[in-house]
Amino acid sequence: MSHVLTILFVLLSVLAIPASTSAAAPDALDRSFDSAVRPFLNTYCLDCHGSVKPKADFDLSPFTTVASVIDDDTRWSMVLDQLEAGEMPPKKARQHPTSRESETVIQWIRNLRQREAARHAGDPGPVLARRLSNAEYDYTLLDITGVDLHPTREFPVDPANRDGFDNSGESLTVSPALLKKYLQAARQVADCLVPTPDGIEFAPHSVLVDTDRDKYCVQRIVDFYRRQPTDLAAYFEAAWRYQHRRALGDTRVSRADLARARGLSPAYLEQTWALLNGPAETHGPIAPLQARFRALPAPSRGQTQLAHEGCIALRDSVLALRRKLVPLVPNLSAPEVNPGSQSFVLWKNRQMAANRRRLDPGLLQIDGRIPEPTRPGEGIRASKKKNPKPAAPDPDLTVPSDPARRAAIESDFARFCSIFPDAFFISERARVFLEPGEDKANVRRLLSAGFHSMTGFFRDDAPLYDLILDDTQRRELDRLWTEFELVADIHQRMHTSFIWFERAEGKYLMDAEFNFARAEDRDCTSDTKVRRLAEVYLAKARRLGTAEHVLAAMQDHFDRTLANLRRIDRLRAESEPRQREGVLDFARRAWRRPLSAAERSSLIEFHQRLRDQDHLSHEDALCDTVVSILMSPHFLYRVDLVEVSGLHPNDQPVHHSASPRTSPRPPTGTIPLSDLGLAQRLSYFLWAGPPDTALVARAINGSLHRPDILIAETRRMLQDPRARRLAIEFGGHWLDFRRFEEHTAVDRGRFPTFDDTLRQAMFEEPVHFLHDVFRSNRPVTDLLTAPDTFVNAPLARHYGIPFPLDSRDPWVHVPDARPYARGGLLTMSAFLTANSPGLRTSPVKRGYWIARRVLGERIPPPPAAVPELPADEAHLGELTLRQTLERHRADPSCASCHRRFDSLGLVFEGFGPVGEHRSRDLGDHPVDTHATFPDGSTGNGIDGLRTYIAARRQEDFLDNVCRKLLAYALGRSLILSDEPTIRSLRARLAAHDQRIGSLVEGIVTSPQFLNRRDPAIPTNRHAP
Amino acid sequence: MSHDSTPSPAARRLHLKRRTFLRGMGVTMALPWLESVPAFGDEPTRSSTPGPFPKRFAALFWGNGVNSHHWWAKGQGKDMELGRSLQPMEPLKTRMNFIDGLFNRSAVGVGIHPGQTGNLLSGAPLFKGAVLRGGISMDQVLANHIGQDSIQPSMVLGCEQPITGYHETNFSLAYSSHISWQSADSPVPMEVYPSLAFDSLFENRGSHRTQSILDRVKDDTASLGRRVSSADKAKLNEYLTSVREVEKRVDRMRTDSTRAASRAQEKGTPLFTLKRPDNGLPEDIREHMRLMCDITALAFQSDKTRVVSLLLCRDLSGLFYPFLDVRLAHHIASHNDLSDDFERITRFYCSQLAYLATRLDSMKEGDGSVLDHSCLMFLSNMWSGNKHDSTRLPILTVGGLGGSLATGRTLNYLNQGDDHRKACGLYLALMQKMGVPLTRFGDATAPLAQI
Repeated sequence: MSHVLTILFVLLSVLAIPASTSAAAPDALDRSFDSAVRPFLNTYCLDCHGSVKPKADFDLSPFTTVASVIDDDTRWSMVLDQLEAGEMPPKKARQHPTSRESETVIQWIRNLRQREAARHAGDPGPVLARRLSNAEYDYTLLDITGVDLHPTREFPVDPANRDGFDNSGESLTVSPALLKKYLQAARQVADCLVPTPDGIEFAPHSVLVDTDRDKYCVQRIVDFYRRQPTDLAAYFEAAWRYQHRRALGDTRVSRADLARARGLSPAYLEQTWALLNGPAETHGPIAPLQARFRALPAPSRGQTQLAHEGCIALRDSVLALRRKLVPLVPNLSAPEVNPGSQSFVLWKNRQMAANRRRLDPGLLQIDGRIPEPTRPGEGIRASKKKNPKPAAPDPDLTVPSDPARRAAIESDFARFCSIFPDAFFISERARVFLEPGEDKANVRRLLSAGFHSMTGFFRDDAPLYDLILDDTQRRELDRLWTEFELVADIHQRMHTSFIWFERAEGKYLMDAEFNFARAEDRDCTSDTKVRRLAEVYLAKARRLGTAEHVLAAMQDHFDRTLANLRRIDRLRAESEPRQREGVLDFARRAWRRPLSAAERSSLIEFHQRLRDQDHLSHEDALCDTVVSILMSPHFLYRVDLVEVSGLHPNDQPVHHSASPRTSPRPPTGTIPLSDLGLAQRLSYFLWAGPPDTALVARAINGSLHRPDILIAETRRMLQDPRARRLAIEFGGHWLDFRRFEEHTAVDRGRFPTFDDTLRQAMFEEPVHFLHDVFRSNRPVTDLLTAPDTFVNAPLARHYGIPFPLDSRDPWVHVPDARPYARGGLLTMSAFLTANSPGLRTSPVKRGYWIARRVLGERIPPPPAAVPELPADEAHLGELTLRQTLERHRADPSCASCHRRFDSLGLVFEGFGPVGEHRSRDLGDHPVDTHATFPDGSTGNGIDGLRTYIAARRQEDFLDNVCRKLLAYALGRSLILSDEPTIRSLRARLAAHDQRIGSLVEGIVTSPQFLNRRDPAIPTNRHAP
Repeated sequence: MSHDSTPSPAARRLHLKRRTFLRGMGVTMALPWLESVPAFGDEPTRSSTPGPFPKRFAALFWGNGVNSHHWWAKGQGKDMELGRSLQPMEPLKTRMNFIDGLFNRSAVGVGIHPGQTGNLLSGAPLFKGAVLRGGISMDQVLANHIGQDSIQPSMVLGCEQPITGYHETNFSLAYSSHISWQSADSPVPMEVYPSLAFDSLFENRGSHRTQSILDRVKDDTASLGRRVSSADKAKLNEYLTSVREVEKRVDRMRTDSTRAASRAQEKGTPLFTLKRPDNGLPEDIREHMRLMCDITALAFQSDKTRVVSLLLCRDLSGLFYPFLDVRLAHHIASHNDLSDDFERITRFYCSQLAYLATRLDSMKEGDGSVLDHSCLMFLSNMWSGNKHDSTRLPILTVGGLGGSLATGRTLNYLNQGDDHRKACGLYLALMQKMGVPLTRFGDATAPLAQI
């Protein structure tokens, strides 16, 4: 013992020298390690923390050199914590060091850490090439394909690193099992590949079968239709608003502006306006319309409701009249031909489409005389029911007999019909060859041609196209239809369906002369076979005495079929090179950088080789090329390329020789990341996904490394919806709610309100809140002290917060949730529930969560034999949970840790096992939320905890936030040399009102973030 | 019989359009079972008792029912008497079960045709309108459970292309076109080209494609490795090692089956007795069906797959049969289902089953044949095509499923009450015999009695 003391005196004199950078210091620290620290360990520590069954799994025996201590700073900073707190050696230990001895070791550790941190300050650290984490894989796929396939559901779960994040190279490994999953996932993506006329797209589902291709294409067209403003009332109201623009307080607005502001078509508003405000009519259909429009009430004190209702009534009257002006199109028919035959139905569709804006003067009543019903011509099938609605005299349809006046009014009717089509588009059709009433049940046959059983689509949207859409929208709609025709191969399928139908739903093809025509014959759509079929088909019709105009319609059908088939053939051929380009473009997105010329040609060659040597079809080859792109390490890995000039110049368009004035000088032994490398680091930090076009553009023009640009991009990216992923991935792992959607510990029998919907809402609450903190650049202290939160209807119900019934958004911001005992992270039910074992609360788990996750305290794991608490609060008997815990803490081996967090959890007793607010526990004891905190101060409830943290633990909290966010951003565990950066981040926060944006910006401009270790310089630093 | 061996431009276009379905292919890692089959190798099997041989299952479907006057069987075993339409099964009757009276509740009362067909093998209620939704079919459940053990989890074959229009019941015709569904809303793509079905089995097409991709990945990784630090290179090597590992297993599967084939040939038991079918579709439907049966038989014999579904014709089929002296196409003919014409059609389909069963029985396996270790389930979607009656399904099974399924029986469930005559009960029983640990399927909560 006295020997140790002697050495201590020597040591103290050594410590008087500033330990930072002096050349002599290492020796001094080395010497004192051997003379004081090792003996201290041997005497006081290794009995328990030796190599044999170390207590708390904490083995100090391997630390025999200073270098080994430097290597494991995490462990030694814990040693420091324990010594500083006087926790170790424990009270019951055989022997205890003098305070001087302890002080010496404490000072030694501090000096060593300080020296090491300063020596390598800003060291980017060992950031290895790392595969995408599962979350990053999903987000990356989503961003490059536009569809959320989420294939990693089937992947093994990623391990977390020391800081709790799953995004670091040290923990992300690849195994053959994972590689198989990658292959399956890539195939799954390729199954969704849609080769379009312009390139490639991805559907949200596989498109291997026709019906899935239909679903994909049809839905997009129907969605387009439904987005269009075709409600006449809206145009009438806009016209009214224009007329009363002064009263409504906007004198300068133009009709076009007004239309755009209200989401209407300017062109169509113009036409409606001209009709309503044109020269006043005295007779005909337009006159009453003008009169009613003029009679709409002017706005008084901003009141528009009456006019709004008036416009709706006006629309209904227009539609009522318009319905009377739809001409009836008869069916065609021919002997032995099924009335639903394709050529007949398509002919009828074309007639009806042509009538959408056309007046049939035959429907008008001259001086009230009912017109003769159209007599079905020869070969025209009369409707099954004769005159289903006998026409009655109708003043709305009356025109005068005087030829001149009649012509004027007829022309008004024509104009009325032209401006108000009977339909702007048809998105659903039942069987059109039946009476409308006969087929009411057949709805949702989207874009269907109205056949019986046959595959068939018919485009009928000319009024929309001509009246409403502008040129850009017309091109878009044309593109969607062409894509549909190509992708779903409509015309080929319609023709094979034609053959099948004429056989299976009729007898027309039963003669032997039709034997060549088989739906299964893939050559049945060739010129020769279509012509031959047309010939035999028409010859038979002629033989059977079919009417001439019907024969013409049949011939026309075959002509159109052939033209369509060949048009799509040509389009298919023209599309192939564009689809190959599309795959290259996909590679660029997948690999998150421009392709080199060599890479482009190699992909094209691969596609060609698959076709030539492996005999794959063009489409299969496209798919396999996509699979290979997704299997490439360029996609799966985030790698910082070594910058060597001359190597693949296209990959490194920018070098950093420029502007040392604007970019911070990298620490020695490190090199700056390329701008593209920086773009990726930034996007995977803020979005957990690839850079977008704008960010890549910044990288390519070489400006991203400029601090002003970097910060501007960072701010832009935090505003982007993708920043929500930062809330999920960073927040979720930091605060341990990432997997809450899978939380199954709740007893749903006892808590019937807890269902999947509520669980999902609980998960979403911190996501919304954290996202808002990042997006709105709020102070990090808001996380604990803010009065607000976000709820959806189920969560609002759970919390007793009234939810606005008229809310469009399923989630609303609650600016002050304190009246409902909520606000900020601490009261969120996800945390309260996750830290409850089911039928009781757990002050231990909740307190531990606060201490460890929120305040960053490091607490050793519990010993193996811990007494279990009853699983159900109701089974605690006379004792409350609080009293049971007090007993537990009476055991000194438990107390040393539990006194650090039990109290932090007890303040949450006002919240039950699913985070519900409560005043009595499940054992029917009144809850008590008073606590004596670790420093001896007391407080009550969440507010008490907040006060305690603000007064005593604020530094711990801020320090922890900085460390966690930095570790997440860098994708590695923190090392000693990060300490100066942590200090500067803290200073930055303090200077900016603790706003989180300043922390993020401090991180992205830190040397660790901007640089990487120079692989060319051998280092004495040890890779982990 | 002629073949369109030089496809027209239109035919080529069609070929370009179609895309091969590779679910799970090339990434299945288990050794093919045939390594240990005595018929294929010199090595004796692990023990003196051969097997256990894998159990195989095929569902064969035809649409629009039977001529019920001639679809009957009486008695058991050798004494079984068969109706005229069942005559093709006479030599196989002791290996067969005639099953009458089963049905799917959700296929009743929903209108005719598609609503009676798209759920035939799932028992699931179907959605009307543009959104397809039903249930996964029992063959695909089997494929998901036992498919990993063979090169292809399942083969889904057809002799008539799907159609996708709307029926008057407002069900999509896709339900009439597909009996195999990989999920509630997506049918399994059906292979109608015999040549491509053949390739998918015997050229190890899936494995080959995976191999091409892995080759490229290796090149990519190697070239990337030259551009990164040595520490990063170590990380990439970990990836490369995994690629090589997967590659080795893919390769081993391929060489194993090649080796087995050549060993079999040396022993005078040619493994592949079918030459590659010509490109394109056979013009004669008889040849088309025969080829599909041959491919099924060979897939079973070589254990390339253990699950097959074969749609011989669709519901609402447009196939026509000049060789049976029937002028009307299948669907129209079924509207006169008690006619002689339709009896000949029914018998024709039954003869396809007999052909496949005979073929499997000629393939020796252990002391028995491949048929002994298989179950062929032959069924239609209705009883009467005229009445569109789906309250009773015509069903045959052939093969003993490795001794687990007693045969030579006529089983009638018609009068046993609806809860005891569920087709899903039959499916559940068969799946359980094949090692699927399900206790319920479709509307069945118990396996069918006597199965």
